[in-house]
Amino acid sequence: MIILYDYELSGNCYKVRLLLSMLNVSYEKKAIEFYPAAEHKTDAFLSINALGQLPVIQTGDLTINDSHAILVYLARQYDKSDTWFPISDPVRLAQVTQWMCFADSLTSSASSARLVNGFFYDLDGEACRQEAHRLFRIFDEHLWFNEREDHLWVVPGKTPTIADLACFAYVVLSEEGGISRMDYPAIRRWTDRVKRLAGFVVMPGVFPAGPGPVHVLPANDTFPSAGTAEA
Amino acid sequence: MTQCSDPVALALWHPIAAIEDIPADGKQKTQLLGEVLHYRKMDDTRVSVHHGDRKLPVTLAYGYVWTCLGTPERDLFDLPEYAESDRRNVCAATVGVNVSAPRAVENFLDMGHFPFVHTGILGAEPHTEVREYQVNVDTERDEILATECLFYQPQAAAGSSGGVMSDYIYRVPHPYCAVLYKSCPTDESRLDVIALFLQSVDEENIRAHALVSVIDTQSSDLDIRMFQQNIFSQDKPILENQLPKRLPLDPRAETPIRADKSAIAYRRWLRTKGLQYGVLAAAA
Amino acid sequence: MIDLEAARYRWHPVASSTDLVPRHVFQAQLLGREMALWRADDGNVNAWENRCLHRGVRLSIGINDGRELVCQYHGWRYANRTAGCTYIPAHPADAPARTICNNTYPAVEKHGLIWSGEKPDGQIPSLDVLDTTSITPLRGVTINVPLENIALPLIDYYSSGQRGASGDSVVHYGADTPDPFLLILHAHGHLHTSANAQAVDTPTPDIAFFFQPLDAARTAVRGVLCGVDEHNIGSAALIALLKQHSFMLCRARDIIESGHRDKPVPTPWTPYIPKVSDRHASMPPLTSAGQQAKLRVRLSAIENLSPSVKTFRFQALNTQIESAAPSVLPVAQPGAHIDIHLPNGLVRQYSLINGPGQTDHYAIAVKRLDDSTGGSHALHDSLKVGDVLATSVPRNNFTLRRDAEHTHLIAGGIGLTPLLSMARALDHSNLPFTLHHFIATETDAINRAELENMSAAVHWHVGQDVQQTQDTLSALLDAPTEHHHVYICGPGAMLGFTRETAATRGWADESIHFEYFKNPDVVDDSSEFNVELARSGLSLQVPAGKSLLSVLREHNVGVQSSCEQGACGTCRVEVLEGEPDHQDVYLSDTEKAQGNCLMSCVSRARSKRLVLDL
Repeated sequence: MIILYDYELSGNCYKVRLLLSMLNVSYEKKAIEFYPAAEHKTDAFLSINALGQLPVIQTGDLTINDSHAILVYLARQYDKSDTWFPISDPVRLAQVTQWMCFADSLTSSASSARLVNGFFYDLDGEACRQEAHRLFRIFDEHLWFNEREDHLWVVPGKTPTIADLACFAYVVLSEEGGISRMDYPAIRRWTDRVKRLAGFVVMPGVFPAGPGPVHVLPANDTFPSAGTAEA
Repeated sequence: MTQCSDPVALALWHPIAAIEDIPADGKQKTQLLGEVLHYRKMDDTRVSVHHGDRKLPVTLAYGYVWTCLGTPERDLFDLPEYAESDRRNVCAATVGVNVSAPRAVENFLDMGHFPFVHTGILGAEPHTEVREYQVNVDTERDEILATECLFYQPQAAAGSSGGVMSDYIYRVPHPYCAVLYKSCPTDESRLDVIALFLQSVDEENIRAHALVSVIDTQSSDLDIRMFQQNIFSQDKPILENQLPKRLPLDPRAETPIRADKSAIAYRRWLRTKGLQYGVLAAAA
Repeated sequence: MIDLEAARYRWHPVASSTDLVPRHVFQAQLLGREMALWRADDGNVNAWENRCLHRGVRLSIGINDGRELVCQYHGWRYANRTAGCTYIPAHPADAPARTICNNTYPAVEKHGLIWSGEKPDGQIPSLDVLDTTSITPLRGVTINVPLENIALPLIDYYSSGQRGASGDSVVHYGADTPDPFLLILHAHGHLHTSANAQAVDTPTPDIAFFFQPLDAARTAVRGVLCGVDEHNIGSAALIALLKQHSFMLCRARDIIESGHRDKPVPTPWTPYIPKVSDRHASMPPLTSAGQQAKLRVRLSAIENLSPSVKTFRFQALNTQIESAAPSVLPVAQPGAHIDIHLPNGLVRQYSLINGPGQTDHYAIAVKRLDDSTGGSHALHDSLKVGDVLATSVPRNNFTLRRDAEHTHLIAGGIGLTPLLSMARALDHSNLPFTLHHFIATETDAINRAELENMSAAVHWHVGQDVQQTQDTLSALLDAPTEHHHVYICGPGAMLGFTRETAATRGWADESIHFEYFKNPDVVDDSSEFNVELARSGLSLQVPAGKSLLSVLREHNVGVQSSCEQGACGTCRVEVLEGEPDHQDVYLSDTEKAQGNCLMSCVSRARSKRLVLDL
């Protein structure tokens, strides 16, 4: 059984919970109170992860920390479709890695702004927001052009990768840091798509999406209806 | 930052921190009604609060430090359950929310959102009905009381299957505080208490503090705190997406339904008090 | 500074057409006002105030279910096109006042963009000076600078000669600014683009940039390329062209923003948000009488559903509805009916069969009955497409609760009609239900294909005699189940049996919902009594042979009515004192026993005197 050292309100922990759910892997949660108790800085937790960061997973003798490392491990270990971390395709693998690094820069900007606003961290919230907007502009343009070529996910291709989950958490929580997504329509559409993936789960602060389109009707067509009344 | 000139808000006691969260030494900083305050723990029973050089009045109550930027007009409201010896009193969460305090109070009084915002915890579709309940203003104690509130709760206690109708009583004893009494799953004769104490950082930002006072020998403090943090964090994106952020007291600003009886009474009560901070006044 | 007042009367772009993908809610802003834009599954584009009328929550975080927009906070549902509220989950047994309507703005698609405005009264800007045989929208870009500071630096940037992506050609632009909201760039020279390492020369298109004033400090720039033959140049070259322009516009944005960095931040624009009407500002009473308004509708289609059943479809001619665009019909909820004023002077009630979000028409299904008092004959035999008729606004005395764990719909014959709209709503929201349709012959099974396609179990009971029907109903109502609700519509005898059986088996009155076509009982109007009207202070005498309703009308006391035979529930009046003599079939036995309301069209008094809340 996998043990996840977890804080429900952490975006980095959320990334791992998302993939565990999407891959249908059962696990046990051990709650670590990040705020206000700062349990992740206690000796007990530092003996598990010297960096004092969440999340951490343990399975048997194995301990893995860093959300992105955990995503890589879970994808390689449990993804029978071999699509979440496409190791056999050098180009896609490089792109996944690139966007995982991008997701890390969201942690130091969008996530930090959220820590300032919601959890009273003593950081420069305004600087974090500015940096987050700079990154969102780049991300929105990337996703907009992916849409033009019918690529629905962060890395061009038919299926989502762990880069989607890595980027999703702190994008979807950005408003808690005072970062509106109004100017990023392609990002907003992509968050809808991630929310419609099989196995998607919410966390406090994230709303579910409604059912996606079953099929797209041509403009000005009427509603589908089998009845002659509406024909 | 505009200064608060509302005499009503200035004369209130405001919570600023959980006593147990204050480090033993060192000056701490917070903000109240747009003003920067400093506070310090003197010993286990004394905390000092300063606004610049001015020493402010302090009340330690219900696990929190309370202060007042003007001259307090009355004592802090009563919460007698806190003193009952067999209760667990837990300072459960302090969360920052970008909204006015009155909007957050109104959300706390609202049952209709349980199935949509606290899905699977405090409510679940299709059980969405808010039944008729009673609302009264207790003029002697100057507080609002909503009674006979009933709402379907999908899982009343861990391990129980199927839903139950939960009973709630709501009290609004302070413009920025509200108290919920809820049937206790382990002792039918007692009520669990969840209190919301709001610190108005400014007119559109709050620190929401929660006190949980329960008859519960099962849950750990961590369980109780995590539960309350999750509930608050589910409300947070709703509150932060309310427009306008201040509570409009003009009856024509929004559309109430019968389920909003307590909110209507609350808005009227605030109008009568002449409270200005965190609200949009009704047109004269 | 732009002329803010004049800007309110203009059309502005608020999104690209491609931004509004199915089942998505786009968050837009114009002149400081936020809008929720969404495209319904029928293609209609909605531009609404981004604010739920109930508690002010942004609708852009809500759910577009293809036909309705659902608020995240309390699940209020607003219909496509009308923005009328169709369902309030906190009060599942009530039909929302049909005039609870969100603020809507016009929305038009042109030049590949969505156009809207507060009260636009002119034309959408024309691009006739350019080659408009083909228009290619660019990616919209937001610049955090007031609108009046955009055009000049943008002209500077483009007219300084831009290098192509491969760097070996230069384009020059000549600028033209017909107004502060539009910049036209005429291209000279060729833009050299490369795609997939294969160099392609494409003609350099002219560009039109529309400036969308988001708020006082921010502007969206929505560019379109004119005259690019998308098929001819191929998709790779097209994307390279779009990327090149996105790159240039982002560079221009960075330059404009950095040049504006130290400027003072302008005062924000605060849009006026219309107040709700007085009627909705206070808490509604437990029952609401609804609102009188006559509609004029045009019969737009007639179709045969079966040898004896036809559907009639009506479209708006004009309406008197508040805050909705013209030619929109007031929204109806499942179970609602309208009164139709027929050419022969008769007024008849028909249930609407519309599904959720089908808000551009009213549809009814009518069976031609030989014993009909003239309604079905008039509809079947004398009406033709194009005829204009008067109808009431929809009334709903047969409300569909959506908080049931399971819903049972039981229809007798043409009594299917209100249940058909319910089935459509339940099916669309994936709520569990079962439908039983009792019919004389197979040909009476209207809309069979549609019903078979629904996720619910649908049963047709064909040709059952009275005993068989009663046996089937008895089996269906075997034992009451908590959180189950039953809806029945059909002939009087079938309803009577169902109600009795349900009561005997222990079903709660509140769980059994029914709608009669007509009152099968003979009304006894031989009594005489006095009524006092508590609020108007009148004291009236109701003589034998006259209904309470008609006496009230004679004294100008307004009470709405519809069927006037005690079947539909519209003319309900609250009773404060006295004992009513109930002669309707609308109220449940429990409600009758409570005695605090009556149907004024047929019911009278057992006591000498009644005090009414009028």
